[in-house]
Amino acid sequence: MPYLARIILLLLICLAFGTHMSWAAESADGAAAQPESAEAEIDWTELDEGDEELEVWDPIEPFNRGMFWFNDKLYFYLLKPVAKGYRFIAPESVRESVGNFFHNLAAPVRVLNSLLQGKGTVAAAELSIFMVNSTWGIAGLFDLAPDDMVKPDAEDFGQTMGHYGMPSGFYLVLPVFGPTNARDAVGLVADSLTHPVPSPFYLKMKPLEVAGIQTYDTVNELSLDKDTYESIKQDALDPYLFVRSSFMQKRAAKIEK
Amino acid sequence: MAIWLKKILLIICAVLVVWVHQAASAMSPLEQVRVTVDQVIEILRQSELQGEARRKVLSELVRSRFDFVIMSQRTLGQHWKKASAEEQAEFVSLFSDLLEASYIGRLDDYTDETVSYNSEKIDGKRAVVATVVHSSNTDIPIDYRMVNKGNDWFVYDVLVEDISLIKNYRSSYGEIVRKEGYAGLFERMRKKITELQDQPGADGGKT
Repeated sequence: MPYLARIILLLLICLAFGTHMSWAAESADGAAAQPESAEAEIDWTELDEGDEELEVWDPIEPFNRGMFWFNDKLYFYLLKPVAKGYRFIAPESVRESVGNFFHNLAAPVRVLNSLLQGKGTVAAAELSIFMVNSTWGIAGLFDLAPDDMVKPDAEDFGQTMGHYGMPSGFYLVLPVFGPTNARDAVGLVADSLTHPVPSPFYLKMKPLEVAGIQTYDTVNELSLDKDTYESIKQDALDPYLFVRSSFMQKRAAKIEK
Repeated sequence: MAIWLKKILLIICAVLVVWVHQAASAMSPLEQVRVTVDQVIEILRQSELQGEARRKVLSELVRSRFDFVIMSQRTLGQHWKKASAEEQAEFVSLFSDLLEASYIGRLDDYTDETVSYNSEKIDGKRAVVATVVHSSNTDIPIDYRMVNKGNDWFVYDVLVEDISLIKNYRSSYGEIVRKEGYAGLFERMRKKITELQDQPGADGGKT
C-alpha cells in the first residue's frame, strides 16, 4: 500500500509540474501573455461555483405535460372559482385562522422529520409552537409565535431522504397534487402515515372525509394566495419549464437548510 | 393635475435618481441595494406620480442597478457563446424589456410592505445581499446576487425564496433555442412583451 501511495503522489507531482512547465513555456514564447490581473475573467455563461446547474431529469415529460395541463384546467375551472367564492364569503381573518389551524395540525410531520434529520433545536421549536398554539391558540386557530421569530423551515420526509443523500429521481407531475419527483412522492406517502388527517393509525378517517378536508385546506390556501400561478402563466414563455425549475430549486434549497 | 406639474415632478425625480446614484458610489453592495429599493418604495408611496410617468421613473431606477448583459449571458449559458453579436445584442434588449414588462407592473400591487436588509457576503468581485420583504401576512426572503464594476455594484440575479430568477429563465430559454433557434426565441419573446404591455397589471384578484 505505501508503494501505491508513493506512486500516486509522484504522479501528482509530475502532473503539477508538467502543467506548470508547459504554461511557463507558453508564456515565454507567446508575446501576448496573460495580463497580470489578479482576478481572472469571470465566465458569466457559467453559473456560480457550488451552484451547478440543476439538471432536471424528466424522462416522462409527455406524461408530465399532460398532468400539468390537467392541473391547469382543474385550477382555473374548479379550484380557483371556488376559492374566489369562498374569499367573498369568509373574511380574511377567518381564512388566516383556518390556515393556522391546518398548519398546526401538520406539526407531527414536521417534528418527526426534524428529529429524523437530527435537528434537535428545530424539533424543539416546532414542538413548543405546537403546544402553545394548540392550547392558548385554541386548537391552532391563532398563531401566538412572536412576529419577529424566525419560523422553522417545514420539514417533510422527502427532505429527510434528501438529507441523507438520496437523489431526487425523475421529475413527476401528479394529478391534483402537482409537481413532485420520485423521492418526494414516496415522502408524500410516508408523511400521510403520520399526518393526523390521512393517517390510518389515529383518527382513522374515511377516504372521502380525508379528501374533503384536504380539498378545503387547498381552497383555503388558494384564497389567501395572491395569484402566484396566474403570474407564472402570464410571464413565462413555457410555464411547464418554469414551474419545473422553480420546484426543483426550492426542494434543493430546503434540503440544504 | 396639470401636465406641467407632472413634468416638473418627473424632472425632480430624475434629478434625484441621478444625484442619489452618484452618492451611491463606493458604497457597499448592501447599501446600494438599500438605496435603490428605498427609492422604489418612496416612489410607490407618492400618490402624485401615477401611470406611465411613474413607470418611467421606476424603469430608469431599476435599470441603473441591474446588469442586463450579465443576466443575458447567464440566461443563455453555452448558447450565448454560439450566438452572433447581433443576436446577443437583440437578446439583451428583448430580455430587459421582457423583465421590465413582467415585474414593473407587479409593483402596482404595492401596499404597505417594508424591507429589512439583513446581511451581505462579499467574495472578491461578487456579493450576495440578503433582504426580507415583510407584508401583512407573510415574509418573503429576497437575495440579490451582485457584481462589482468600478465603484458600483450591479444586480445580476434575484433569488426569491431561494429560487433563482435566472435559473428559471435559463431552463426554458435553453430548450427553446435548441428546438427553435434564435428566430423562434425572439419571436416568442416579442409576442410575450406585447401581451404583457397590453394588459398592465395582472388581474385584480386580491386576498
